[in-house]
Amino acid sequence: MGDKPIWEQIGSSFIQHYYQLFDNDRSQLGAIYIDASCLTWEGQQFQGKAAIVEKLSSLPFQKIQHNITAQDHQPTPDSCIISMVVGQLKADEDPIMGFHQMFLLKNINDAWVCTNDMFRLALHNFG
Amino acid sequence: MKGQETARTKMCSMVKKFQKSRNEDCRDGISVLQGRKPGGSSSRCNFGRRSVPYERSGRGLLPSHFQEDGGNWMRDVREDPRVRYTPYARELNERRGKWRGSRQVLITMCRDPQSRERKMEEDTQDRRVESWFKITIPFGRKYDKAWLMNLIQSHCSVFFSPVDFHYINNRALFFVQDARIASKIKHVRNKIYDEEKRKISIFVTPSVVPYSVKNKFTPEQMEQLKFIMKKRYDGSQQALNLRKLRFDPDLMGHQIEMILNRGNCMVATLQIIESNFPELLSLNLGNNRLYQLDGLANIVEKAPQVKILNLSKNELKSICELDKVKGLKLEELWLQGNPFCSKFPDQSAYVSAIRNCFPKLLRLDGQELSPPIFINVDAPGLITPSQESYKGSETMKNLVLQFLKEYYLIYDYGDRQGLLNAYHNEACFSLAIPLNPEDLDSSNLREYFKYSRNMKKLKDPNLRRQLLKYTKRDIVDSLSMLPKTQHDCNNFVVDMWLQRKTMLCFSVNGVFKEIQGTSQGGVHAFTRTFIATPGSSSCLYIVNDQLFVRDARPDEIQSAFSVPMATPCSSSMPTLSQEHQRMVQAFSLQSGMKPEWSQKCLEDNGWNYTRAGQIFTMLQTQDKIPAEAFKQMP
Repeated sequence: MGDKPIWEQIGSSFIQHYYQLFDNDRSQLGAIYIDASCLTWEGQQFQGKAAIVEKLSSLPFQKIQHNITAQDHQPTPDSCIISMVVGQLKADEDPIMGFHQMFLLKNINDAWVCTNDMFRLALHNFG
Repeated sequence: MKGQETARTKMCSMVKKFQKSRNEDCRDGISVLQGRKPGGSSSRCNFGRRSVPYERSGRGLLPSHFQEDGGNWMRDVREDPRVRYTPYARELNERRGKWRGSRQVLITMCRDPQSRERKMEEDTQDRRVESWFKITIPFGRKYDKAWLMNLIQSHCSVFFSPVDFHYINNRALFFVQDARIASKIKHVRNKIYDEEKRKISIFVTPSVVPYSVKNKFTPEQMEQLKFIMKKRYDGSQQALNLRKLRFDPDLMGHQIEMILNRGNCMVATLQIIESNFPELLSLNLGNNRLYQLDGLANIVEKAPQVKILNLSKNELKSICELDKVKGLKLEELWLQGNPFCSKFPDQSAYVSAIRNCFPKLLRLDGQELSPPIFINVDAPGLITPSQESYKGSETMKNLVLQFLKEYYLIYDYGDRQGLLNAYHNEACFSLAIPLNPEDLDSSNLREYFKYSRNMKKLKDPNLRRQLLKYTKRDIVDSLSMLPKTQHDCNNFVVDMWLQRKTMLCFSVNGVFKEIQGTSQGGVHAFTRTFIATPGSSSCLYIVNDQLFVRDARPDEIQSAFSVPMATPCSSSMPTLSQEHQRMVQAFSLQSGMKPEWSQKCLEDNGWNYTRAGQIFTMLQTQDKIPAEAFKQMP
């Protein structure tokens, strides 16, 4: 339908929805995860909707604003969608930082949920 | 009589208006016609005259235009269009006198649509005994049988069981035995819609006994067939060999003609399989001159365990025939010797097409197929966070790190064409840079911009489609066009964020230097995400590859490449520059030759990697390279 392949449509609208939720009230993000979802936040892993929401809500900033500078979507062989986002964020009064995030979306019972989420700030960590 | 011509055309437009509402309450008279083309159904005008065996009802065929949908009935509007498809033409014809006169047609249409239906029902009830009815769905070919049957059944208050469902040209047909059922089905006619919201029309006509019922095997024949099939059954392999069944001497001796193309033969065969060999694993139907697989449409119910199917040396002309047995979870399939096999441009197209039908297939025509990337997505329990399984599968982690090491070795120092083996056949690749077109000129990233598929900025759908590289050939070609790089492999940050048995997702963050072109010396930061599937002998095949490149920040540039890259190369020539050392490593990896030999080859070709590769390949095909040049395989 339309000339946009479905993974682009789904990916784009998911991304928009996600960051809107995140910036306004990130405790509502539970709706897009399922109990089998896994979040990798700066290398740390959290499994399950509850754990993920807890981690996101407990992040130490009040205000957060995301600005997406690039996004790309690809279909995966098992009919999931992988969405990749690069952008900038500003938390409270901290300086702007770049970030990179990856979502793996899957269609369960006619709704697209996020089964995997990976977030990294665009800092180069030298171990 | 001649005056009717002009009356008819006038009629066409007026009556068209009523056509849509003829099954609804059309007492309001005028409604706008939608979507019906007058006379647009010339291809269907033989409808009534076809399939003669079934239409020998002895009641006289209705003229074809009675059985048409769409505009054709306007050819003779004297007849009431609402009863045009009733089977009881004789009765109607007697009453024809009443309907003469076009105006009366309109009036009767408008006024009392209900009474006609009642009349038809009465007629129907008179003819209960021994009557078969053919139900036809024009354009039914495009509908899936199960879906269509369910749809009709759900609107029908009585349960019915369709007999001899099959497709002829564009139509779908089946038979029912009871007149009451036939009439109920007729009622469903304009109440059902397909997925594109188009009405599905149904025609009900009387018919002779359907072929399969008429030609059903007698119990004696069934016994005989069962006996013969038992002889051909190998219990140890759970395999049934029905090759060349027609020429089985026992069958011929009993004058049973097992022509498997015929519905009744296949039905009988499947019936015997269902009752006697329910655990059947392997079925051989080769050499049976099969040109269609309609008879196997319900094989999933009759022989659900079948994993090996041999259809070789038949007459299948189209791969679409395989759709009919798609429900089987086949692991092994034999198709060679069928006409459609030679219609593919090459072997891999053929294999891909078959695998599309049967994703879990392991062997085709006796050949093992490369690992399927079909992942069982119905088992959410398989999704384990990599943290937990990290401890349990260090092997995965090491596999990934090793993979990345080799990948970037070839990517940086070798010919990127060599990466073909790292990708799966149906992989996807795309790259994006977060850059505005306006900032292009001042940026170091401009070489990448033309490949950048940033969905946020790129709105042209064609370009978007083009920039998503699909198939390993395309991917490797486009990778080869990207500028040459040198990655800071020691400072990669690797995130493994999904580990399943058959799928692995990991992201690599790091920096790289451009060593060529206008932005030479520029350092960029990148994040590359891979989705890979493990293949045989612990190698990974990339299925999705996505690369983000951005400008590195000053602090990143400063700390980049600060740790000199360790060179595990076993070369004993310390005077080689680091770059050359890496090239030797890459060449050694790709060619399989020991480092000393790789180095010699590169040196002899002026450290031109591509040329060295070509020379190597040439010498190898000419068998001019001694065996000792190659590394021992572990």
